[in-house]
Amino acid sequence: MRLLAILILVIFIAAGVVLGALNADLVGYDLAFAQVHLPKGAALLGALVIGWLLGGLTAWLGVSMGQRRLRRRQLHADKKLSSKP
Amino acid sequence: MNLMSVLVPLVPAAFALGWWSSRRVGARRSGAEVSELSSDYFRGLNYLLNEEQDKAIEVFLKLAEYNRDTVETHLALGNLFRRRGEVDRAIRLHQHLVSRPGLSDAMKTVALLELGEDYMRAGLLDRAEALFSDLVAMDAHAPSALRHLIAIYQHERDWHKAIEHARRLEVMTSEDEAPMIAQFYCELAERSRQHGARAEARDYLRQAFKCQADCVRAFMLTGRLHAEDDQHVEAVTAYEAAIQADIAFTPEILPPLLNSYARSQQMERAEVFLREMLSRYHGVSPVLALTQLYRQRDGERASIDFLTSQLRLRPSVRGLMALIDATMDKIEGEARENFLILRDLTRKLLEGQAMYRCSRCGFGAKAHHWQCPSCKSWSTIRPIHGVASE
Repeated sequence: MRLLAILILVIFIAAGVVLGALNADLVGYDLAFAQVHLPKGAALLGALVIGWLLGGLTAWLGVSMGQRRLRRRQLHADKKLSSKP
Repeated sequence: MNLMSVLVPLVPAAFALGWWSSRRVGARRSGAEVSELSSDYFRGLNYLLNEEQDKAIEVFLKLAEYNRDTVETHLALGNLFRRRGEVDRAIRLHQHLVSRPGLSDAMKTVALLELGEDYMRAGLLDRAEALFSDLVAMDAHAPSALRHLIAIYQHERDWHKAIEHARRLEVMTSEDEAPMIAQFYCELAERSRQHGARAEARDYLRQAFKCQADCVRAFMLTGRLHAEDDQHVEAVTAYEAAIQADIAFTPEILPPLLNSYARSQQMERAEVFLREMLSRYHGVSPVLALTQLYRQRDGERASIDFLTSQLRLRPSVRGLMALIDATMDKIEGEARENFLILRDLTRKLLEGQAMYRCSRCGFGAKAHHWQCPSCKSWSTIRPIHGVASE
C-alpha cells in the first residue's frame, strides 16, 4: 500500500516537472493593486495548492466549530446536572 | 487551450480534495470513525471483562486473521492463552511475533517479555532467566524483567542472586525493596543455621537488620540461635523485641519465648510482659500463656478463675477448649459426658479452621509461612483474629 502511494507520488512529481518544463513561458496577472508575471506551470500549481489549502481550511473550521459547539452543550448539561440536588 | 479554461475545473477539484482530506483527518482524530475492526476489538474486550475468555479468544483470533500487522492483538491473544493455561500456544504465538521481520524494537521487547512469562508459566525457568537477563542487559522493560528474575531466583532458592537483583531493582525504580531483601538474608541465615554454620547465620542476620531494623523474622531467628546456644536471657530479649516489632506474630513467638522464660527462670518478667500484652493484643494466645503460668505458680483454681474472667472479655474457641480441658477432671457423671462431646466439637471446629490468612491475596493456611504460597509476597501471612481462631 505504502509502496503504491510512493509510486503514484513519484509519477505525479515527474509529470509536474515535465509539464513545468514544457510550459515555461510567462503569463501575466493583473491583481488590480499589482501585476505579476509567472510561468504557466507555476501558476497552475499555485492555483491547485491554494484551492487544496482553502478546501482543507474550510473543512477544518467546520469540524472544529462543530466540536466546540458540542463541548459547550456538554458543559452546559454538566452544570445543569451538578446544580440539581 | 487557454490557461483559465484548465484552471476553472481544476481549482474546485483541488478545493474538494482538500476539504475531503481534512474531514478525513479530523474524523480519525476525533474518533468518530469507528471501524469494524475496533468494534470487534471492543466486543473482545467486553467478553474479557465478563470473564468469558473463550469468546474473547474467538474474537481476537478473527481480528488477528483480518489484520496480520496488528501486533497488539497478537499480544492480547498470547496473554489470554497463557492465562487459560494453554502455554504451548502462547509460546508459539510469541515466538512467531519475536521472529517476525520488520517488527519495531519496542514491540519486539514487549513480545520477548511476554515470551519470558510464558516460559516461567511452563516451568522452563532457565529459558525465562536467559530472556529476562537479555532484557535487563538491553535496558528494555528492565524493572519488569528484574521482578521476574527475582521471582525465578526465589523459586530456585538462589538467595544471593535474588538479593543482587533486588538491589538493582531498588536502584532502578527507587522503590523500597529492603523488607524483601531482609527476608532473603533471613532465608540464608536459616539455611546456615540448619547446616551448623552459626557464625555465618549471625552475619546474615546482621545484614537483615541493616536492611530492616525491625525485621520480626530476624529477631525470631536471633532468639532461636541464642536459645540453641543456651543463652536464654538473650533469647528472651530477642523474642520480646520481635513482639514489639510486630505484635501480630505473637502466636508464633510466644511458645519459644515462654520456653526461654522458663529456662532462664524469669517467670516474674514473663508475667509482667504477658500482662502488658493483654492490654495491647486482643488475641487469646497471651491469655492461654498466663493461664499456664498461673496453673504452675498458683494452682488450678486461680488459673481457671483467670481464664473464665478473660473469656468473658474475649470469647474464643481456643480459650473455651482450654477451659474444658482444665475443668474436665472436676466433673463426673452425665455432665462429664456432655463436656466430652463439647470438647470433641471444639476440637473439630478448630481442626478445619485456617489459622492464618494472607493480607494481600486472602490465601488461608493452617501453618505460618513467611512467603505466601499463593501470591509469593513476603510477611503478608498473619494470624486470623476471630472467635474460632486467634
